[in-house]
Amino acid sequence: MNAAAARAAADPALVEVDGLTIDFWSNERWANVVNSVTFSLGRGEALGLVGESGCGKTTTALALLGFQRPGSRIRAGAIRFAGRDVARLSRRELQKLRGRRASLVPQNPATALSPGMRIGAQLIETMAVHRVGGSHRERERRALGLISQVRLPDPQRTAAKYPHQLSGGQQQRVVIAMALACDPELVVLDEPTTGLDVTTQAQILDLLRRLRDEVGMAMVYVTHNLGVVASICDRIGVMYAGDLVEDAPVAELFQAPRHPYTRGLIAAVPTIAAPHRNRAVTLRGLLRRDQLPPGCRFAPRCDFAEAACFEEPQTLLPVAERHAVACRRVDEIDRLAAGGDTADGAAPLRPAVAGDGLLDVIDLAVTYDRRARLSLARRPPTAIVRDITFDVRPRETFSLVGESGSGKSTIARTVGGLLRPLAGQLTFEGRDIAATVDSRSKKLRREIQLVLQNPDASLNPRQRVQEIVGRPLELFFGLRGKARRAEIEKLLEDVRLEGAFAGRYPDELSGGERQRVAIARALAARPKLMLCDEILSALDVSVQSDIVELLLALQDEHGLAYLFISHDLAVVRALSHRVGVLYLGELCEVGTAEQVYAPPYHPYTHMLLSAVPEIEGETVLSPAIRTDPGVASSRPQSACPFADRCPWKVGPVCDEIAPPWREAGGGHVLRCHLPLDELMRRAEDSALGVGAVEAVGADPSP
Amino acid sequence: MATTALAVSAPTRRAGVRRFLRRFTLSARVAAVVLLLYGLIALTGPLWAPYSPFATGSVPFGGGSWTHLFGTDILGRDVFSRVVYGTRNVLYLSLTSTLLALLVGGAIGLASGLVGGWVDELLMRAFETIISIPLLVLALLAIAAAGPKLAGSSLLLILVVLLVYAPRIARMARTVAVDLVTRDYVTVARARGESVASIVWRELTPNAAGVLLVEFGVRAGYAPILISSLGFLGFGAQPPSPEWGLMISENRVAIVTAPLSVLAPAGALAVLVISLNLVTDGVARVLGRSVTRTP
Repeated sequence: MNAAAARAAADPALVEVDGLTIDFWSNERWANVVNSVTFSLGRGEALGLVGESGCGKTTTALALLGFQRPGSRIRAGAIRFAGRDVARLSRRELQKLRGRRASLVPQNPATALSPGMRIGAQLIETMAVHRVGGSHRERERRALGLISQVRLPDPQRTAAKYPHQLSGGQQQRVVIAMALACDPELVVLDEPTTGLDVTTQAQILDLLRRLRDEVGMAMVYVTHNLGVVASICDRIGVMYAGDLVEDAPVAELFQAPRHPYTRGLIAAVPTIAAPHRNRAVTLRGLLRRDQLPPGCRFAPRCDFAEAACFEEPQTLLPVAERHAVACRRVDEIDRLAAGGDTADGAAPLRPAVAGDGLLDVIDLAVTYDRRARLSLARRPPTAIVRDITFDVRPRETFSLVGESGSGKSTIARTVGGLLRPLAGQLTFEGRDIAATVDSRSKKLRREIQLVLQNPDASLNPRQRVQEIVGRPLELFFGLRGKARRAEIEKLLEDVRLEGAFAGRYPDELSGGERQRVAIARALAARPKLMLCDEILSALDVSVQSDIVELLLALQDEHGLAYLFISHDLAVVRALSHRVGVLYLGELCEVGTAEQVYAPPYHPYTHMLLSAVPEIEGETVLSPAIRTDPGVASSRPQSACPFADRCPWKVGPVCDEIAPPWREAGGGHVLRCHLPLDELMRRAEDSALGVGAVEAVGADPSP
Repeated sequence: MATTALAVSAPTRRAGVRRFLRRFTLSARVAAVVLLLYGLIALTGPLWAPYSPFATGSVPFGGGSWTHLFGTDILGRDVFSRVVYGTRNVLYLSLTSTLLALLVGGAIGLASGLVGGWVDELLMRAFETIISIPLLVLALLAIAAAGPKLAGSSLLLILVVLLVYAPRIARMARTVAVDLVTRDYVTVARARGESVASIVWRELTPNAAGVLLVEFGVRAGYAPILISSLGFLGFGAQPPSPEWGLMISENRVAIVTAPLSVLAPAGALAVLVISLNLVTDGVARVLGRSVTRTP
C-alpha cells in the first residue's frame, strides 16, 4: 500500500467525474439514469460504488471506460481519465485506453472468457493487442507470471486449459489476471463476486486486496453488498436513483453514516453478529422511477423529509474532510434520529412451539441418476444427498445452509414431491408421505407449498396477479367469482401489497413485489409448511429485510413452519430457529441458530462463517480459506466429505472412517473426528470475530 | 397498465394504434392489405362475380376481353369468375387445415415436452418418421390409403394437410415446451399437483403463443401450394371445382395460345403465398422471433 500511497500523493486525481448525467432511451422518451454525479479517484485508491439495483452504479462505472449502452446518451458532464475526457475520445483512442490503462472485470466470468481459447492464449492476446511485452516469448513468460500472481495452481498446466475446465472462482481469477495483463492504472470491477459462493468470494476478495498491495492499481468496485466493499475499499460512494448521495471513507461511512438513505441501507444489512436489527431505521417503500420529485430523489422514502426536500435539488456538500453528503438536513438528522431510534427495539424471534415434529426426514438419500430405477443397473447410483436426518416442528423455521452444489435445493424438492427419494423416510404429521406429487393426497399437496428462488421465473409472465394467486384457491377450495376475488384481496393484503396489484402482470412488478406475489400464491393454499428455496438471494438488501420481516409476521399470523434454504448465513441467522449445515450432500452440523453460530463449530461451519465479509470489524481470513483449492469435487472420495478441504484434518482417519455424530448438548450435534473440546479450542485460537464474542457467554462444556 | 389504457383519450389511442402499425415493415403492411382483399373476395365474390364458375358456352380459350377479363378456359368457362370463386375454396381449405394442425400438433407437442420420458421419445420418433417422408409422397400415400370414396372431398384434403403439418408443428411446440418446463412457475404448478392438461393450457400455451403464431403463419403460407399441387396432380379437388391448382392443370395445354387461363390462377396463388409469408415475417420481427422455413 505504501507505493500506492506515495503515487497517490504525487498526483492526486487519476479519474475525475464531473457532473456526469446519463439518460437511457426507453418507452419513447429519455429517462434519466445517472444524475450529475461528481467524484474523483486518486491513483491507487479503491472506491466502492454501492446502491440498490437500478441506481446507476454500473452505468457510472462503465462510463469510466467509455462504455455506453446503445440507446443512451451523456447529457452533461465530463469523465476525465488522467486529464482527458473519455467521452470525447475517438474509437481508436478508446481502444488504446481500454485494457491498457483501464480495464474491466465483469460480473460473469463464464461469458467474459472465450470458450474456445486456452487461458494462456487469451492472456497473451490481451498483451499482443496492446503491444505489451516485446516478443511472444516474453508475453508467454508474463502470462505464466500473471497466472501465479492470481494464485492459480500450476501455471503451465492452467495456461493450457480451456475456461470450462475451471471452476467459477478460478475463471474469475483468470479474468482478473487478464484485467491486470497490461499493468493498468485503473481496474473497474462490476459485481465480480456476486455469483460465487461465500468461501470463493472470500478468496477473490483476499486476492484483490493482495494484488492492490503488489500492483498498486486504482479500483472502482461496483456492488450491492456492503460487506464486500467494507473489506476492500478505501472510500465508498452511495448511489440512489442516479444520484450520488454520500461519498466518504469506509470506516467513517459505517460508523457514522450521514445521509438518511445510507443509514437505512446499512441498517438493512443482516449481519451474523447482530441478526435482529433495529427495524425503526429500515428503509420503507420502494424506488419508483416514475414518481421522482424535482428535489431530493430520496424524499418520498425519507423519514426526515420536509416540504422543501421535495422541491430543492440536493448537491453533494462536504461535511468533513473527504466526506460529502447530498442532504440539506444533514446536520439535524443525528438529533432527529436519536429520538425515534429507541421506539422499536430489536425484535427477536418468537420461540417455536415445542412439540411433535411436523416434518420428519430420516436417512434421506436422493439421486438424479435415472438408471437407479432399473434393477439391472450394474453399479449403485450416486446419491446427490445422503443420510439426511432432520425434523421441522410446527411454527418453526429450519434452515439448510451450504455452498452451491451441496444439495440444499434437492432436499427441498424431494420434500415437495418433485423428486423421488432413493432411500429413507419422509413423514408429515406422523404419517408417511408418498414419494411424488402424483401419488400424494390433495390435502398433503395443499399443506406443503413451494416458493422458489428466481422472482423473474417464478411467476408466469402471461398471467395477471389475480390468476396467479387465484389458481390455488380454485384448485384446493373451489373458490370462484366474488369469493375468490375477496380472498385474493385478503392474500395481497397479507403480503403487504395493494389490491390494485391484482390486475397487473409480473413484468410490471419489482423483484420484491414479485416475490411477495409468489409468497401470496403459496399462502393461498393455507399450508402448514412452506419450502423457501433461496427466495431472498436475488433481491436488494433493503427488499430482503422487508421480506424477512414479512416471513416472520406470516409465521406469527398463520402458524407457518418454514424449511428455509439459503447460502446467506446472515439472513439464516436472522430468521431461523434451527439450522442444518450441509456439505456435498451430507449434514455436518445441526442445532439451534445460537448453537451453530457459536463454538464448537464443525470445521466447515467455521470456514463458512469466517468467509462472510462483515461490515463491523476487520474481517480476518483464516489461513484455511487461503489454502482452500476452491474446487470441490462433486463426489466425495473420503469417508468424511469435507476431508479434502478441511483445515483441521486429523489424518488418514478422516479419509477412511466416517466421522461420528457428537452431541454438544441441547440438541446440537456435529459430525467430526475431533472431540468437542478440541474444536472449541481451535475455534477460539483462530479468533473469529463473530463467534468469539459469543463464545464467552456460551457454556463451553459439551 | 390496463386501467390507464382505458383512461386515455381517443386521439392518443389512435396514436397508439399508429405506433403499433409502424412497428411492422412496409412490406408486411402492404401484404396485410392484400390479404384483407383476398378475404373480402372470398366472402363477397359470389355476389359480384360476372358468371357462374360452372357456366360453359363461350368459346374455349378465348383471350382476355371486356366480357371475359381473363379470357375463357378449356370448356369455355369465365376464368375471372373461376379465380374469384376459387379464392373461397383455397382460403377455406388452407386456413382450416392449418388451424387444425396447429391445435393438434401444438397440444401434442407441448404435452410431450412437459411429460418427457418414454412418452416423449416415442411420440417424437414417430413424428420424425412421418417428417422424413417427402411431403407430396406422404400426401399421395394418405390419399391412396383413404380409398376412392373420399377422393376429392374437402374433409380428406384437410386431414391430409393435418397429417403432413401436425408432426412438424408438434416438434416446434415441443422444443418450446422443453425450455418452458424448467421455469419455476411450471415447477410450482407441478408441486401443486396440476394435471398435464391444466399446465399445458394455463402455463405453457400463453408463453408459447408467439412461436406458435409464427409457426401458423409459415404453415398457412405453404398450405395453398400443397393443396393446389394435389389439385394439379389430380388428387385434390375434383373437376369441375374452381380450385386453382386444378385450373392450372386443366388449362396447361393452352399455356402458349391462351396464357391468361393458366397465369391468372397461378398469379392469384403466388400473390397469396407471398403475402402470407411477408405478413408472417413482419409479425415474427415484431415478436422478436426468427422464422425457420422448412416446408
